[in-house]
Amino acid sequence: MKNKISLLLFTAGVIIVAMLRPLPVLAGDFKLIANSSLKADTISTEELKKIFLEESSSLSDGTHVEPVLESDGPVHQAFLQQCLGRTSDDLQTCYRALVFTGRGSMPKELSSDAGVVAYVARTRGAIGYVSIATSTQGVKTLTLSDSKFNPQRRVIRRIEPEYPETLRRLNISGTVRLRVTISARGNVEQVELLGGNPILGESAISAVRQWLYTAGHSRDLIEVSIPFDPRSKFFSGPASHPRQV
Amino acid sequence: MRRRIVGLAFFCVSLCAKSVTLQAQEFKLFDRTVQVHGYVSQGFVFTSDNNWLTMDTSSGSAAMTDMALNASSQVNDKLRVGAQVYDRNLGQLGQYHPSLDWAFGDYRFKSWFGIRAGKVKTTLGLHTDTQDLDFLRVFALLPQSIYPVDLRDATIAHLGGDVYSNISLKHGLGELSYTAYAGHRSDSIYSGYAYFLSQFATYLKSYGGLQYGVDLRWRTPVKGLQVGASRLDEDITGKGVGVSPFNYAAGVQPYYESSKADWENQVYGEYTLGKLRIDAEYRRYWRKQQVFNGTSEDLTDVRGWYVSGAYRISKRLQFGSYYSRYTVTNRTAGLLATLAIQATDTSLPQNHDYDKVAAVRIDLKRFWNVKLEGHFMNGYGDAPYPNGFYPQVNSHGFSTTTNALVVKTTLSF
Repeated sequence: MKNKISLLLFTAGVIIVAMLRPLPVLAGDFKLIANSSLKADTISTEELKKIFLEESSSLSDGTHVEPVLESDGPVHQAFLQQCLGRTSDDLQTCYRALVFTGRGSMPKELSSDAGVVAYVARTRGAIGYVSIATSTQGVKTLTLSDSKFNPQRRVIRRIEPEYPETLRRLNISGTVRLRVTISARGNVEQVELLGGNPILGESAISAVRQWLYTAGHSRDLIEVSIPFDPRSKFFSGPASHPRQV
Repeated sequence: MRRRIVGLAFFCVSLCAKSVTLQAQEFKLFDRTVQVHGYVSQGFVFTSDNNWLTMDTSSGSAAMTDMALNASSQVNDKLRVGAQVYDRNLGQLGQYHPSLDWAFGDYRFKSWFGIRAGKVKTTLGLHTDTQDLDFLRVFALLPQSIYPVDLRDATIAHLGGDVYSNISLKHGLGELSYTAYAGHRSDSIYSGYAYFLSQFATYLKSYGGLQYGVDLRWRTPVKGLQVGASRLDEDITGKGVGVSPFNYAAGVQPYYESSKADWENQVYGEYTLGKLRIDAEYRRYWRKQQVFNGTSEDLTDVRGWYVSGAYRISKRLQFGSYYSRYTVTNRTAGLLATLAIQATDTSLPQNHDYDKVAAVRIDLKRFWNVKLEGHFMNGYGDAPYPNGFYPQVNSHGFSTTTNALVVKTTLSF
């Protein structure tokens, strides 16, 4: 019998050594997305935590919600660490406890950003997260109302957009909504038109590309609204404080 | 045997090396998604001395298998339904007689309030409802002072209803959650207590009764710290046949026993910090039972506590350890007092079981783990109430100490 135990321990030792690998490094950022059925534009970290831990299946306004996960990768890890304060293994343990006691289901898990966006777009109440570079056409983005890890950025160099002469003459006004990706150093990396007149949008994008923000700890994503009013010589935008996404 | 172990090890390593996946299944029924999940686990136990958990462990026993399969569906925003079938074999227990583990409807009126009705897992302390699910934790066996695997039926589920709620406290004081329940407990006749009685030529045909209780837990403002308390009351009746120890000449007669008082109090705490998890629980089980058709009374006072710690070294490797302490006292009255020795001294090995445990868990795949666990036990706590050590499988008597090696592997999807 001693031989049997020695053999078992030896086999276990071999497996342990083979399995010793470092934990994946956390990296990257994410944005929250939701099905368009959700009325809310913002969500608190606490609410998000309850939804993803299946402690709650609705928002404070009563809307039904359903969490959607990415299988793995830096976006998944960043989301878990920043929003849920859990590791992937902890989260799986939590879901399994629910599944095998009948108190919850295993949430939908998808292997790519595009897959998450597509699923969220077609599933009522779905909430997920994707990398900031992912196109989010067909879904709405949610803002974390109490973000601690995505501090507000302040514009320190702003270039006012030019009013396209034709539109000014025709007295066409409007507000352009942009999603701006800011590097940790404060440079604008990417600008995406979210809404508004496309010609005004083009002008706003070329101006915002030259803006400079205060430095931060990581790359940030904010929303900027720029009003165009032909009666004013200069544009006073952004109309509101930049919104975190 | 050696060849089989080598073969098994080789099989395991080769499975590890290949890209094998095991995934939950989903299908549509009446336009609703139904999820199907299951698990199967196999254990091997070798003990240095006493036979443990009704197995022939001193020769090495693999009679430790359990499995479950469930299906559940979110019918609408508020209602979910599901059921799980469970089956096990643990030495002389279970014997592969499947049972309905849980089957209920869960209606959540509000995000913070709901009810469950049907056969529902009992909420008692940290792990009662998940005690079968070893893949949730590092340990192959939970501390036996509080979660005796041979007596799982006693607390695992009730046929009735739960009311549950989560309340966020103001001023950042954390969150309170409670579960109140009432229902009927029904033990398998292949459970530890029935097996325990069989040593007295008494064979249960049914054992169960009313069970009601409440669990209150507080997620404190201290990050990762949760504390709670549970109370469970029962009114249990057992029926069967047996030979009365007071009148052998009468032969096999109907047997019954019933509760005069039966309750459990449990307090617990859980602390998680990154990859570290620490649990501690204390349970007192008080049982005053009228036995042998009302001719005798049996008063049992079981006290157990443990402290456990677990640490994740890497994604695939976790270590854990616990110290578990079990004591039992027993007094009898009526006819039984003339036959039974009063058990009052918990320093005697028959009235306690102190267990030091070290464990390692290896996640070969996300759905597959292997555990190695060493138990170093002092005492066998068998005298008045079952606790892992049974005279039927220890016919030569008990040794004071028992060392055990538990190897367990579980596949789940």
